[in-house]
Amino acid sequence: MSATPSLLSTLRSATEEVFDTMLALPLQLAPPVPGHLDVAAHVAAAVAFAGHRRGLVVVHSSFAAARQITSRMLGIPLHEVAGEMPDAMGEIANMVAGTFRNRLAAVEPASDVSVPMITVGTDFSIVYPAPVFRARCPFDMQGEPLSVELILTGNEVGSLQQAAGASAMHACGSEGDTPDRAGVRC
Amino acid sequence: MRFLVVDDSSTMRRIIINTLNRLGYTDCQEAGNGREGLDAMAANPVDVVITDWNMPEMNGLEFARAVRANDATKTVPILMVSTNAAESDIVAALKAGVSNYVVKPFTPTTIKDKIEAVMRA
Repeated sequence: MSATPSLLSTLRSATEEVFDTMLALPLQLAPPVPGHLDVAAHVAAAVAFAGHRRGLVVVHSSFAAARQITSRMLGIPLHEVAGEMPDAMGEIANMVAGTFRNRLAAVEPASDVSVPMITVGTDFSIVYPAPVFRARCPFDMQGEPLSVELILTGNEVGSLQQAAGASAMHACGSEGDTPDRAGVRC
Repeated sequence: MRFLVVDDSSTMRRIIINTLNRLGYTDCQEAGNGREGLDAMAANPVDVVITDWNMPEMNGLEFARAVRANDATKTVPILMVSTNAAESDIVAALKAGVSNYVVKPFTPTTIKDKIEAVMRA
């Protein structure tokens, strides 16, 4: 399960399961996004994990997608969605990361997950000071863009960067970040 | 049937209560952690408790043990809803007094089946 495509495939299927089960919102896998990540997102809900693997799962979405998710999740009309959105996105990230963790734990030692952290805004960057491996699964959610990013740190970063070539791009956009280019605009 | 939903996430409480309402269960109280859950049960008896695991102040396992230690509440079925899916986690929950376990994400059918299972037990 150390191969990058397997990790990304696991993350992708975990995301699809959460959206299908909790929201009845089928996701379409969007075309891969090669190179540096530069996609507009206004909501980033992150859950860290540590243990056998260390890193983050981050759900990126537009405001519109986040509002739609909140509406479906809480059963409230779209126009009534207000302050509930960050918590709802945090819960989605928690379930995606938890499902991802649970699936990996079936084939390798388990990792623990953190409480979710949610960033909402129109102009922000997410920066990692250490060498990290980043890979992103872009989706189309009924016309709205949404992506789920996997960020790994630790000893496996180098091997993941090597493995992240063309094979990983079949499933998702991916790249390795070095300390001097760890900042990625999302 | 009277339900108590215990979760520190107001979003998750709302999701679970919405699910219960859709299943026809409309008598639902809520609490933000185990301590508040015990207070709620002391004030208003309930027939089924649905609780999260990870909560501040008093987590779901501590809450389940406290419910089982109280003569007035020791037979109330407890359903735990959590993203923790490891077998060791589920065993720990059952040992603490949890009656049945639901791994998130869940469908309304799963909740319905688990409620019926704990009520039959």
